[in-house]
Amino acid sequence: MTAAFPFLLQPIFWGARNRARRRQRGDGLRAALFGGIGLLVAAALFAIAFWLTWQLVDYEELGDYLIRLGLGWLFLTFLSFVAFSAIVSALTAFFLSEDLRLLLPAPVPKARLFYSLFSRTVVQAGWMVVAFVLPVLLGLGLAHCAPTVYYATAVLSVVPFVVIPSAIGTLLTLGLVSVFPARRAREVLMLMGLLFAVGLVLLVRFMRPERLLTVQSLPDVTAFFATLSSPVTPLLPSFWAGESLFRALRGELDLLHLSALWTTAGALTVLTRAAYGRQHFTAWSKAQEARKARFTRLALLEPLLRLLPLGAARRALLVKDLKVFLRDTTQWSQLLLIVALALVYVYNFRVLDLDRIPYMSRTLKNGYAFFNLAMAAFVTAAVAVRFVFPAVSAEGPAFWIVRTSPVRLSSFLWSKFWTGLVPILVLAEALTIASNHLLGVAPVLRGLAACAIAFMTMALVGLACGMGAEHPRFSAENPTQVAGSYGGVAFMVLAVLYILTCVVLVAWPVSLYLWYDYRALPIPPRDEIRIALALATAAALSVGTFWRSMRRGVRALEALG
Amino acid sequence: MIGVESLVKTFGSFRAVDGVSLEVAKGEIHGFLGPNGAGKTTTIRMIAGLLKPSSGRVTIAGKDLAREPEAAKRELGFIPDRPFIYEKLTAAEFLRFHGGLYGLEGAPVEARAHELLELFELTKWRDELVESFSHGMKQRLVMCSAFLHRPQAVLVDEPMVGLDPRGARLIKDVFRVMSRKGVAILMSTHTLEVAQDLCDRISIIQGGRIIARGTVSELQALAGSENPQLTPVFLKLTGGGAFQEIEL
Repeated sequence: MTAAFPFLLQPIFWGARNRARRRQRGDGLRAALFGGIGLLVAAALFAIAFWLTWQLVDYEELGDYLIRLGLGWLFLTFLSFVAFSAIVSALTAFFLSEDLRLLLPAPVPKARLFYSLFSRTVVQAGWMVVAFVLPVLLGLGLAHCAPTVYYATAVLSVVPFVVIPSAIGTLLTLGLVSVFPARRAREVLMLMGLLFAVGLVLLVRFMRPERLLTVQSLPDVTAFFATLSSPVTPLLPSFWAGESLFRALRGELDLLHLSALWTTAGALTVLTRAAYGRQHFTAWSKAQEARKARFTRLALLEPLLRLLPLGAARRALLVKDLKVFLRDTTQWSQLLLIVALALVYVYNFRVLDLDRIPYMSRTLKNGYAFFNLAMAAFVTAAVAVRFVFPAVSAEGPAFWIVRTSPVRLSSFLWSKFWTGLVPILVLAEALTIASNHLLGVAPVLRGLAACAIAFMTMALVGLACGMGAEHPRFSAENPTQVAGSYGGVAFMVLAVLYILTCVVLVAWPVSLYLWYDYRALPIPPRDEIRIALALATAAALSVGTFWRSMRRGVRALEALG
Repeated sequence: MIGVESLVKTFGSFRAVDGVSLEVAKGEIHGFLGPNGAGKTTTIRMIAGLLKPSSGRVTIAGKDLAREPEAAKRELGFIPDRPFIYEKLTAAEFLRFHGGLYGLEGAPVEARAHELLELFELTKWRDELVESFSHGMKQRLVMCSAFLHRPQAVLVDEPMVGLDPRGARLIKDVFRVMSRKGVAILMSTHTLEVAQDLCDRISIIQGGRIIARGTVSELQALAGSENPQLTPVFLKLTGGGAFQEIEL
């Protein structure tokens, strides 16, 4: 008899322990950076929840009503999030994880294998929600001076609350893979999830929730809350979790809703286990037998690229990179999210009502232009770390083809640079020009910002490309892993430093120029020189960053041996 | 010891394995040969319990794989062509975990792991992470895990890939010793010299069907070949003797 199911999870713990013991370069930096960001986010959530509750407790009945409504909405949002996340996690755990090739031929009882895979699914689908919910509930409890029963209820309700949507997600996955091959199902799901997220972001933003903060829209607020309370139905686990916590805030133990949570979680787990027993091996076998994958032929791509004045080798690299990118749904679909965020970003400037403060509006608008420049550069850096930094690593085990072919490694890296630069430059310029236009900043500033973002994009893409070559991870499973590696984190740190320096180098001389311009005074020659020097330094810093990074990248590739 | 009856596997309308029957007796080393895409790996994956057959029956040491999967799998050691090993575990930890999967723990599994690591010349690497191993070392570690629970039958898919001559020789010796101890071995390979050298009997599969079976001399007779080497016999039986002229 094999040991109980937690035994099957041991490699995860042993692996984590071994990783901790044999730390690699940059692991500490990465852990500190991500841990720090995590702690900051948790602290912010705690502070917001604490402050909001602190304000609401003063309004007795209305306050209680809003807290109750807020808890219902908090859990309702997470219910759908965990369910969707569980579908993807269950696909990975039950059908795509590599260790199934080791576990399935072993004499492991079906039930134990199920519980091990299901616990992985629950943890993967729910950890983020738990990490988000706990500081919120802690802030709520402390501000409300909640009794101990509240904290016990928090733990007792969050656990089954995460299990329920995870079980539903797993059941859906088992059904889905019985119809579609697992890999195709994952691609479809990722795309659907992304479209859902894009839709949600656009919908929330275009609703213009900031209008609710103005006095004129007070009647709308009542209607708004009436709308909010409608989807909080007593039949959903989110309602049960919210209610048990709300009662616990008053010191009552809500056994009815807690029992509903636990019995539903138990029943769904048993149901999922039964479905697993009946369907998993058949669905797994089906997942192995995917026939020829359908793919995008991209017939026009090559004739179009033949129009570019490129040598055969560079064209071949470009064609390969574009085809690989466009045929990978998980890659290109992320562009949709970026485009949506860019639209929201530009839209914010459209609805920004700076004319409400006329005496400040001109200064504010020009000040915003620099903020805008920094934001566009941060977006560029984020896109570069996700798409350009992993470009060399993405060659993976196929890098030998490039290394053994008569292609100079500098040509290879430059091809990666140009492939990344063109689309990112278009995005950065579009963001900067559109937002400055909508903001109505001074024409000289518009021109300068457009020019500055071009230099900054070149520098950031060069930095990402060069550092990606210096810190390749050919064994990484996906580009996200590469972006989160030591090199990726180091790139982001350097990129932020570069952006801040560059924005200061551009903002200082321009503000000096505008100061004279507002007062209709001629610029003294000494200040003209200072302005020119600062702008020239910004340009030199950008060119230097780009050139040095690319050179170091080429050398690093050549040193691979 | 390994019994396969009328095994069929269809992928959509494609019949990858078409009524394969096999019997590997106790102590026998049975070669399973065939050209690429003939259905070898699919058959082996079905015997290992990694793939559900469309129809047919597999038994290991008399236990039906479909009806008593755990009991049947406990008697089987499996060495896949692309083995999975947890990269962040050490060799010793991997074997400990593998032992646990087969219900072994404590001192006996430690002693057995030590014995096998010694046999496969991995002792000095026992506390190193698998990620630092070469392909050959990983292959030897998988062999350790396959023999850890003293299986009565062993299923091997391409055992010699990535092994140096010393490693290959070691594997051959281990297989011979295991066979003498009564372990039944079903081995799929493209290395015909190894098959000729090791196997008591050979089955040749093509297009999902067994087209020939017997000892090397029986296969020679079947092919009408007087050449003592297995390669021309294999080529003749599978129709792969003709070469296409290409401009080089």
